[in-house]
Amino acid sequence: MGEMDAAEFDDVVDDWFIESLKTYKDLHVYQLEHPTRVIEWTSGKTVCVAGYRSAKNELLELLLPLKLLAEENKGLCAERDFKVVHGGFAEGPVHCLRHIPGTRCAVTNDGRSSGLQVWDLGGDDSDVIRRTASVAGRSASGRGSRIAAGLSSDPRVLHGAESSDVLLTDLTSGQSVYKLKSDAADPLSSLQFVSDSVFLACCCSGNIYTVDTRASDAPRPSPPPATGGGDGVLWCADASPSSAGGAGRVARLSSSGEAVLSDLRDLGGAVSRARLDVLIDHHNWDDVKVSWAPALDDCIAASGFSGTVQIYDTSAWAAEPAAARPLFEHRGHVVSSQRADSLPVLVTSHVWHPERPRTLLSAAADGSVHVWDWVDQSAAAC
Amino acid sequence: SSLRRLQADSRSRGDRKNTGNSRVVYCTVSHFFSFFFSLQGAGQDVGRSCILVSIGGKNIMLDCGMHMGYNDDRRFPDFSYITQNGRLTEFLDCVIISHFHLDHCGALPYMSEMVGYDGPIYMTHPTKAICPILLEDFRKITVDKKGETNFFTSQMIKDCMKKVIPLNLHQTVQVDDELEIKAYYAGHVLGAAMVHIKVGSESVVYTGDYNMTPDRHLGAAWIDKCRPDILISESTYATTIRDSKRCRERDFLKKVHETIERGGKVLIPVFALGRAQELCILLETFWERMNLKAPIYFSTGLTEKANHYYKLFITWTNQKIRKTFVQRNMFEFKHIKAFDRSYADNPGPMVVFATPGMLHAGQSLQIFKKWAGNEKNMVIMPGYCVQGTIGHKILNGQRKLEMEGRLSLTKKLCRNNNNKTCSHQGSESNHHLLDVKLQVEYMSFSAHADAKGIMQLIRMAEPRNMLLVHGEAAKMEFLKGKIEQEFNINCYMPANGETETVTTNPSVPVDISLNLLKREMALGGPLPDTKKPRTMHGTLIMKENSLRLVSPEQALKELGLNEHQLRFTCRVQLQDPHSDSDTLHRIYTHLKSVLKGYTIQHLPDSTVMVESIVIKLSSSAEDPNTKVLLLSWSYQVIDLSYSQC
Repeated sequence: MGEMDAAEFDDVVDDWFIESLKTYKDLHVYQLEHPTRVIEWTSGKTVCVAGYRSAKNELLELLLPLKLLAEENKGLCAERDFKVVHGGFAEGPVHCLRHIPGTRCAVTNDGRSSGLQVWDLGGDDSDVIRRTASVAGRSASGRGSRIAAGLSSDPRVLHGAESSDVLLTDLTSGQSVYKLKSDAADPLSSLQFVSDSVFLACCCSGNIYTVDTRASDAPRPSPPPATGGGDGVLWCADASPSSAGGAGRVARLSSSGEAVLSDLRDLGGAVSRARLDVLIDHHNWDDVKVSWAPALDDCIAASGFSGTVQIYDTSAWAAEPAAARPLFEHRGHVVSSQRADSLPVLVTSHVWHPERPRTLLSAAADGSVHVWDWVDQSAAAC
Repeated sequence: SSLRRLQADSRSRGDRKNTGNSRVVYCTVSHFFSFFFSLQGAGQDVGRSCILVSIGGKNIMLDCGMHMGYNDDRRFPDFSYITQNGRLTEFLDCVIISHFHLDHCGALPYMSEMVGYDGPIYMTHPTKAICPILLEDFRKITVDKKGETNFFTSQMIKDCMKKVIPLNLHQTVQVDDELEIKAYYAGHVLGAAMVHIKVGSESVVYTGDYNMTPDRHLGAAWIDKCRPDILISESTYATTIRDSKRCRERDFLKKVHETIERGGKVLIPVFALGRAQELCILLETFWERMNLKAPIYFSTGLTEKANHYYKLFITWTNQKIRKTFVQRNMFEFKHIKAFDRSYADNPGPMVVFATPGMLHAGQSLQIFKKWAGNEKNMVIMPGYCVQGTIGHKILNGQRKLEMEGRLSLTKKLCRNNNNKTCSHQGSESNHHLLDVKLQVEYMSFSAHADAKGIMQLIRMAEPRNMLLVHGEAAKMEFLKGKIEQEFNINCYMPANGETETVTTNPSVPVDISLNLLKREMALGGPLPDTKKPRTMHGTLIMKENSLRLVSPEQALKELGLNEHQLRFTCRVQLQDPHSDSDTLHRIYTHLKSVLKGYTIQHLPDSTVMVESIVIKLSSSAEDPNTKVLLLSWSYQVIDLSYSQC
């Protein structure tokens, strides 16, 4: 990179940082040695990240900066670094990682076989993450498994690569306690529990199975409402956190940038829809992700189409699809990535803070990890 | 002189193909480093660095820091480890100071003037210039403010600095005939250096505090691929992933901007050198971009002092600053003006940079007192504050401060006379309580290497062993594993006060006589490959400080010794009904068939020779069928004889 380019680059970054004074309450920018595709909360203050290179990779449990978490006397707290509280080595890539709530245990998958690796995240006496067990998968498709942690007190994981091979495995005994009966080998985009015994198996085709583990009959898939996307469109999905009284909703996002919200009780129908303001040419489908804000009404975050993470307010969406503008767009990864080729850096993952309404973490393919607390300009204006 | 005949070739025939006819002299010389870690504290910012390294018979003290968290004897390193056996000057070959922070140099006058050390002390030019100013500041706070005794005096600081020899970057300094040191750029603060210490073929690199990412003010640390036996690195931040510099700056600008917008005043107490310049550059740029009008002031003394030092040490800053400096004076800022004490009472928003940085005296304290009562105002503390200072108190959340009144001077005089405080002189009215209502912000701009930085430095220097100091071993098991796996080297993490001994395998250069080399060439085999070990036979002569490998004949000649022949023999019994000559012939034929490629002769005197091995045969007197085979060989061919027997 020439000298002039470097200066221009600095200017662009400076501009964005100055703009960020108004648009973010908190902003922290980190650089990992190797990029991560997973960001998983292991407590209210710690997250797990892991590399996805084909060779050996690291699993890291990071403590969020104390300055971000400080409730009072924030100004007196100068600590703004991530602290690596635990770390370990994985023999292969990590494409999926789930923490089992209430334990110091995490489960990973390498994205090339259906088996799972079980890890002890370590305690106060040691900073080492150790592999403790393996769980066999049912699929020989060479596809990686999706993983969901159970919501009940037993340490259980739901896992599978296709709708025909979903298993619920008890981690204490290593035995599978439930097997999904389905003949269709539909590749999965995600698995998610919505209650102790009910889970969603979301398929790349857009089909979603609502499965009650107490029932013995084979569940029927709900296809996405007809859209103009045509064939070959892939889908990912996320169910809203169950709120007391309110009906759960599911957001589906297609590779052509179409978003569909459905009522959890009627996944074949659409409550509202929108066409998101995203690029649909460059993405790596594995990176595309949609997620509901856990502490902010009607908001979803979408990433993976480009180097940005977008926040949308779905309350304005109508039954007929219309172009939607993001409420907020985090451009940090694009702005601060200094790549030799001019290809934009892709965001590999994002996750909402479980309690703080507007705090997110995001990671990009250049190894950057950002922690940001954005400001709702429309709310700030009035 | 001494002659040592080293272990002869002990390789089997099978290896011969690979190594040709070459023979090796294996020589392993073990040397030991011992590290004595003299009392470092744990925890950030309050640690204390003082490391003792023994390398190739030389003793070097690396840094001589003081513990900022203690007020008693524990603040200085315990030198009795050394002094119980004699004076420091006799024991130490030199002292090296990495940078001017007090946790790295604060005990220096104590060591040199109070414990007593007259040997050389090395530090870079900027450290030499700044270190005494900081030591004097610190002495004033401790002795004048807190009334402590048993502390070093101003004169001791001066005397200590007379023992300092300045270091230039990348310049090899010969401490004595055998010990040499070389300084490398470490970033971190102005003048911070890493140092490469070499004795013979053994070497150690000590990093001090360093920073692997350049900032507005300083460049990134850099070192040669010098492959030291040990790299000693700080590891206070080894388990962190650093937030970006820009985010730190962003927070600073955000706080300043918010205060200015609500009409408040911002006080930034700074030390004359270092971060102040960086923050000025930052604010100047920001004011320009945002078209802000609020005045920014800079203490005048500060400007002059800083300009002076920056002119002297401009090569120690980063490229951008160097360029700016050539174009215009560092402090000919458009928005930043010289401060006058009357300005503090002006209405409306303003930003003031003032010394000293810890709010213990002078202009920064005066302004603080004026502005502390207004909650619209803000004080931003960009650095560490020593215990007992106002800065330290407000950083610990104290909102009510007891300020010294006018009578404090009398008190101080009285204290000096009687060497104790005369409390009756100071009545309650001398002290007034200051309500701190302004906002207090602590921002650390100090640049340290994080986990990634440590890995980068290891990649750069390629050490054979890694030693992490200042850390908590139990919390660094993962990092240790990571370093050991990624670089295939050992990683040590000694606890405070612990000694670590590391064995090295230094390569020892040996001169080989041309004749011997020619002889080896004549024996054939592949040409020498620098990457592969090659066996060679010869006699090693160690004389004075040289090592030579010569042919045994030459060695004998040079040393006037007679050659002794050493032969091994053994008897083997066989049952064979044939005549003696037939048996011998059968042995000859058999050997011919199994030892292809060797010279085998059946001599007329009824002996068989395989190369230089002699085989004779005789019958037992009692039983002619029992044959006795006599084998005889010289020590050189020991393997062949055994392998065939």
